[in-house]
Amino acid sequence: MSQFDAIVIGGGVNGLIAGTLLGRRGKNVCIIEKSTRFGGMASYSVDGGPTLAHSLYNLSPRALSDIGIDPQHPVLSGKPVSTVSLSEDGRHIVFKNDGVYWSDGTKHPESSAWSDLTQRLITYGSLLRQLAEAPAPGGQKTVLSRGGLNEFLRLAKLGIGLKKLGKSEMRRFLQVVLSNVHDIILDDLPEGPVAGLLAADAIWGSATGPRSPGTVFNLIYRLGHGGIITQPAGGMSALTDLMVEAAQKAGCVLMPKTEASRILLDNDTVSGVETTDGRTITAPIVLSNLAPKITSQMTGPSVFDIETIRRVRNIRACGTAAKVNLRLKDNSPLPGLPEQLANERLIFAPSVEYVEAAFNPAKYRQMSKAPVIEAFKVQTADGASWLSTIVQYAPSDLEGGWTESAKEKLAQTTVETLSRSLPGLGDHISGKQVITQDQIESATGAPGGHWHHAEMALDQLLTLRPANGMARYSMGPKGLFQCGAATHPGGDVMGLAGRNAALAALEAQP
Amino acid sequence: MTVENRYDVIVAGAGHNGLTAAAYLARAGMRVLVVEKNDWIGGAAVSRSLHEGWTYSNCSYVCSLLRREIARDLELPKYGLQVIPYEGGASFTRDADYFAYYSDHNALKREMARHSAKDADAYRGYSQAIMRQCRFIRPFLLRDAPDPASLHPRDLGELAYLVKKAHGQGSRELGETLKFWTMSIGDFLDEHFENDLIKAHLAGSGIIGTGLGVYSPGTAYVLLHHYMGDIDGGIGAWGFARGGMGAISNAIAASFKDHGGTIHTGAGVEKILSKDGRVEGVALEDGKVFYAPVVASNMDIKRTVLHHIDAAELPDDFTKAVRNFKIRGSSAKLNIALDRFPNFPAAPEHTSFLRGDLHVSQSLFELEKAYDDWKVGRWSEKPYIDMLIPSQIDPTMAPTGAHMMTVFVQYAPYDLEVDGVRSAENWNEKQRTAMAETVLDQMSVACPDIRERVVHMEVRSPLEIEREVGLTEGNIFQGELTFDQLFFNRPVPGWSQYSLPIKGLYLCGSSAHPGGGVMGAPGANAARAILRNETRHGRMKGYAA
Repeated sequence: MSQFDAIVIGGGVNGLIAGTLLGRRGKNVCIIEKSTRFGGMASYSVDGGPTLAHSLYNLSPRALSDIGIDPQHPVLSGKPVSTVSLSEDGRHIVFKNDGVYWSDGTKHPESSAWSDLTQRLITYGSLLRQLAEAPAPGGQKTVLSRGGLNEFLRLAKLGIGLKKLGKSEMRRFLQVVLSNVHDIILDDLPEGPVAGLLAADAIWGSATGPRSPGTVFNLIYRLGHGGIITQPAGGMSALTDLMVEAAQKAGCVLMPKTEASRILLDNDTVSGVETTDGRTITAPIVLSNLAPKITSQMTGPSVFDIETIRRVRNIRACGTAAKVNLRLKDNSPLPGLPEQLANERLIFAPSVEYVEAAFNPAKYRQMSKAPVIEAFKVQTADGASWLSTIVQYAPSDLEGGWTESAKEKLAQTTVETLSRSLPGLGDHISGKQVITQDQIESATGAPGGHWHHAEMALDQLLTLRPANGMARYSMGPKGLFQCGAATHPGGDVMGLAGRNAALAALEAQP
Repeated sequence: MTVENRYDVIVAGAGHNGLTAAAYLARAGMRVLVVEKNDWIGGAAVSRSLHEGWTYSNCSYVCSLLRREIARDLELPKYGLQVIPYEGGASFTRDADYFAYYSDHNALKREMARHSAKDADAYRGYSQAIMRQCRFIRPFLLRDAPDPASLHPRDLGELAYLVKKAHGQGSRELGETLKFWTMSIGDFLDEHFENDLIKAHLAGSGIIGTGLGVYSPGTAYVLLHHYMGDIDGGIGAWGFARGGMGAISNAIAASFKDHGGTIHTGAGVEKILSKDGRVEGVALEDGKVFYAPVVASNMDIKRTVLHHIDAAELPDDFTKAVRNFKIRGSSAKLNIALDRFPNFPAAPEHTSFLRGDLHVSQSLFELEKAYDDWKVGRWSEKPYIDMLIPSQIDPTMAPTGAHMMTVFVQYAPYDLEVDGVRSAENWNEKQRTAMAETVLDQMSVACPDIRERVVHMEVRSPLEIEREVGLTEGNIFQGELTFDQLFFNRPVPGWSQYSLPIKGLYLCGSSAHPGGGVMGAPGANAARAILRNETRHGRMKGYAA
């Protein structure tokens, strides 16, 4: 008799959601996590500094309600954050839900063009969300099963949704989703900071530039839940705490400081997990929140066919977003930024070409000399003020590796770049934390520190995510499932991968 | 109106696609006129003598994609077309070595093993994958692309054919196909090979003619676009047309004329005439006017719609979509008359690979960097070059003992950046010469004596290609080959089946599905669409004559 019905390896957002969902469906679940904290990348921080993720824009209400968290929970109902595109001449541009404004409150001339384009992409996003809330289409063994029927109905629904857009809009959709963001933006908007923001929002976390075909899909993905950006009350860890609480309420056993070393098999069926400290936990189902490559290493390659191993090895995951946390001397306003914008999302991406140029060095394993930056001013639990920034591009395979001097250089570049709009920022800084991909990888297991665990490119999406033949969450031996960001629909603090995986595991139950 | 200036169909532009469409229509018994702005025919499939004794294939320079169905239908061999395959090719290194590509499988395997044993083993899997994709795509080239938003029986039929073909591969292969179509040639090669030189050699076909880099998603498809042809059934083989690429156009023209067709050269279309949403004919630059109920334009979609039709005749959203159609100039061309065969110090004597395509790119990074230069409006510091010496095989191209060399150069921007200003106007003699010097430097990696061998050299920047041939921005495909501009999206969504919003107006050039290359498929497909839509029982509808 097994100790548990299911084991989830890795207590990140997707692991917590997968485990909780199973728990709520009556399974006896254990979630193991190698670090002391649950929440994975979402709440990872160094020495009490700001967390790796610092805002929510794509969290799935469906995943939340499936684990018993009210999407309107006080922690989650924070005020939407506006985005500020930082300008070097002090004329910052503010993006609100209803349009684009100059920092003095007057309407920006490109406001309606921006709204039209974003609204169109949000419409497309809501159509595609139907696909995100279920396993990727294709790969059903029999069409006449319940799953096959459901899939057919879902696709039919998508088809009807597309038809409802009208003929010309449907054609446009089929063209736009395959396009590159550079062309789509510049067809409707002049080159400049408004276009630059859209370009930046299409490339966060991924190893692509605005000119790379397929980047429109990334932008649509980001806008898939409406594109509203919020910050949870109490920070990202408040959200992950909420998820931990939901897991406990669902009866899950949470085991921190427990690292899996091997997935145990019995006659090509999963029987449990062996931990690094020599313990054995048994269960007939294992959901792995780890990347496919690590998961396959834990079972040993012999249980997979050679094709699967080749495909797993070829999954691309080169993280490009580094985290640079700048500790501020005090809570005084940032230089060059109006007081009322202090707590908004700050972006440095003055043009599409700037974003593309920032990407160039990353292709050759160099860091950007002029990076694209997203920054939030945050306060940590100890009351300290920080500028929490995501800096792109800083490739995980940097030539020479992420040495201390490389990190120092990245921090310096970050401050210099931000100082172009926030003059004298350097004088406000009292300390720095540079968290690069190698560190993210060793702390969270994400391959290449990639926040989607596998590059979000057209050849690694939907039926091809994480790889051809593996899109339906089950993997290799009976009872083994993947539930991490590498699976369909992908990463971000979204939770759908974990939710879909848990449902797939339930469906596979005899 | 006299009978002399009335036709059943007028084709605007005597490129190989225009001629192909015209030849098919003439064979169907129609009275067809082809009008051409230049004094010669052929468009970008042309042979010209710019220096006495030498013949240049000025634009396109090798042949493979020409659909064999078309060659058969139009009896091109009878009208003088001979295509001679060449074997192999090579990439030279900067330290006097080379990687040779042989069409003989065993020789190729031995050569690969010289650079990497692992890659020699991997080649089989690689070529199988490519071949499978070629087999999958070939049947679609001479079919219409279905409109997914339409419920017309023909569209549904074509869609069903697509689904059947795709599904027929089995789910595993279908996944591989989807992946192949959406990935970059760089990633695809990285999955198979480890050696930089081998990868660089194979990657070239993934970027030729496009505004994409080797790591841009979708370039694996572009590679396919260069592999899906054949010569005498040898899929993926390339060859020279005897007499240069103009021989192809000349053979199609001869076939056309033999079936009663007329070609009018020396005056381009000034305006495509239309009234009440129906095409009426064309007015030429020399003042002549010809009438016909059907006009097929061999010009690219932008030139056709934005320069030669009244905007008022077209719906605004269509014009906007055409304006947003991406046609990017990315390549240049050097045609060189050589006094004798240049010296390739690295190559063994009497080797066959010098008769093929020669390159000097060292790695995928070098190719990707060449693309980065282009993005900001400069020609590549280390351009990708594809050079061939066809006179080794075809003695008609140069005097005895002398040779002719064709050098394709990528990347070269249309809007050249000089002193902070990006404009096509910046292409002047000085800039062209400077670019040629860059290319000659790059070429001397393979043949250091190249500069001494030059008797005459023609340098064509994207601007010259645009001015002479008429291709917008000098783009050789009449439009980027990216997913958003392929298949049912080509040229613009909703208009992928050759007809345009003015009744009787058709597109028969490479802007239409399936796209560029000396393939003839858009021309043949357009002719089929015209015959289907415009005739009833073999007679033109609504045409009294």
